[in-house]
Amino acid sequence: MGSPISTKLTAIGVAACFAMTGSDANVVTVVSAKSPITALSKEQIADIFLGKSYRFPEGASATPIDQPEGSSVRGEFYDKVTGKSLAQLKAYWSKIIFTGRGRPPKAASSSAEVKKMLAADLSAISYIDDTQVDPSIRVLSAD
Amino acid sequence: MSISFAPKNRVKIGAVLVVSCCSSVYAGGVDDSMVSLGGFGTLGAVHSSEQQADFTTNFFKPNGAGYTRDWSLSVDSLIGAQVTVKIAPRLLAVLQVITQQNYDNTYRPHVEWADLKYQITPDLSVRVGRIVLPSFLISDSRNVGYANPWLRPPLEVYGLIPISSSDGADMSYRLRIGDVTQTLVGTYGYSTPSIPLHGAVEARHLWLIGDTIEYGATTLHIAYEEARLTVDYLGDLFDAYRQFGPPGNALADKYDLENKRVTFLGLGGMYDPGNWFIAAEWGTTDLNSVLGKNTGWYVSSGYRVKKFTPYLTYGIAKTNNLSDPGLSLSSLPPYLAGPAAGLNAGLNSVLSTKRVQSTISAGARWDFIKNADLKLQFDHTRIGAGSSGELINLQPAFALGARVNLISVTFDFVF
Repeated sequence: MGSPISTKLTAIGVAACFAMTGSDANVVTVVSAKSPITALSKEQIADIFLGKSYRFPEGASATPIDQPEGSSVRGEFYDKVTGKSLAQLKAYWSKIIFTGRGRPPKAASSSAEVKKMLAADLSAISYIDDTQVDPSIRVLSAD
Repeated sequence: MSISFAPKNRVKIGAVLVVSCCSSVYAGGVDDSMVSLGGFGTLGAVHSSEQQADFTTNFFKPNGAGYTRDWSLSVDSLIGAQVTVKIAPRLLAVLQVITQQNYDNTYRPHVEWADLKYQITPDLSVRVGRIVLPSFLISDSRNVGYANPWLRPPLEVYGLIPISSSDGADMSYRLRIGDVTQTLVGTYGYSTPSIPLHGAVEARHLWLIGDTIEYGATTLHIAYEEARLTVDYLGDLFDAYRQFGPPGNALADKYDLENKRVTFLGLGGMYDPGNWFIAAEWGTTDLNSVLGKNTGWYVSSGYRVKKFTPYLTYGIAKTNNLSDPGLSLSSLPPYLAGPAAGLNAGLNSVLSTKRVQSTISAGARWDFIKNADLKLQFDHTRIGAGSSGELINLQPAFALGARVNLISVTFDFVF
């Protein structure tokens, strides 16, 4: 679905969705390179990671994957996409968990495992430090 | 309750049974587990400046802060545990048990929720059992202090419907249009909680339709509900009124609590973009009895500064009448006028317990460690003339229309 040009651009991280300024790391939202998804808005990404949406806009199911708890990329991602601190997210998820309405995303143990999980599951979506991007994954451009 | 429990990782029992606590949800793998355990709790203390009556949060509690206790631990404290079992890929069982002060002043645990949920499609589910009654914006997490910005939900609105769950079934349908998610809920059931001194409340044919609309940082909630309400309360008073012919019957029919059709409409919204929030809710009940028509609303806003979230809340509760002329004494023979005056006094003393009040609250949440917070809140309540407001256990020296100051502290945790 993605044009060759946009794929090339995203591969080198130019269209990084959530580039942080004045920070050590740039966190980018990623899917498998084989996924048809090329772009999502910040709101769409937030809805998927907050359990408000189980699907990509096209209708395919979406499985969010978190980076390990305590990783700096996790804090940056949620701050950028949802505006919430990790403490606020805890409070948010405790609200959802104690109603039996849902669960937070599964967490990978490392960026390497994130990439492995993305390769194994085309519905998977995660985020990663842009220095970790390789050809197996696609950086989503901002819609 | 020690919170050193919290950082512990999950315990594996056998090959398939994975028991996980809430904190380990973030460590991963929970989606694959069949059984998960979690818990939440609040330890709270509250002091009231009004010593001739008790402050507490709802009429299921027999006492509170002020008259009974200088500092009461029973008003806000509770501990809850929840077990979620994934029986089959689409079938989920939830059991939530809560220990808090009961109507009879015991702390016997009660089942708050016990339901089976069947996920028909990713967006459509049905539940059967004891399920939450989603009357308000945060009905779902009303008991989970850690999930809420305030020390306790504003009573001017959350006091309108003290019943929090019903036994029956509900259906939930999620609908996405663009970036807007709507969750439509329909519930049918009954609820029969006990209240102090007066036996049971029976809410039968209890149904609710609601919609929760989420768009980015904005959440809107609307709910309408109806029930047939019977309360084993004041039966003797109304039986006595019925001895006075048509005028007495008319008063008894108007005010008694026998199978009355009661209604509630609630609207609420919250905007929480991250570093601040604003929330407002409005609700109105028609209890078609001595309990009257009651309306309440609040507006609340908070601002997050690192680990602190100070907030301000203003709420108002109103009712239709706090008194009634009752039987006309002038048309009665003298030997009946005395008893009739006694009945009128009894009726008016009950009407004066309806809530007319406004409260300004200032508080702060401090997220000082993982999975726990501390909250401090000051409330200044101006009870309306002729009303006893939210207070219970009124003593002879209590004056209607009092001004009440509260200081509350809570420690909320999840595990």
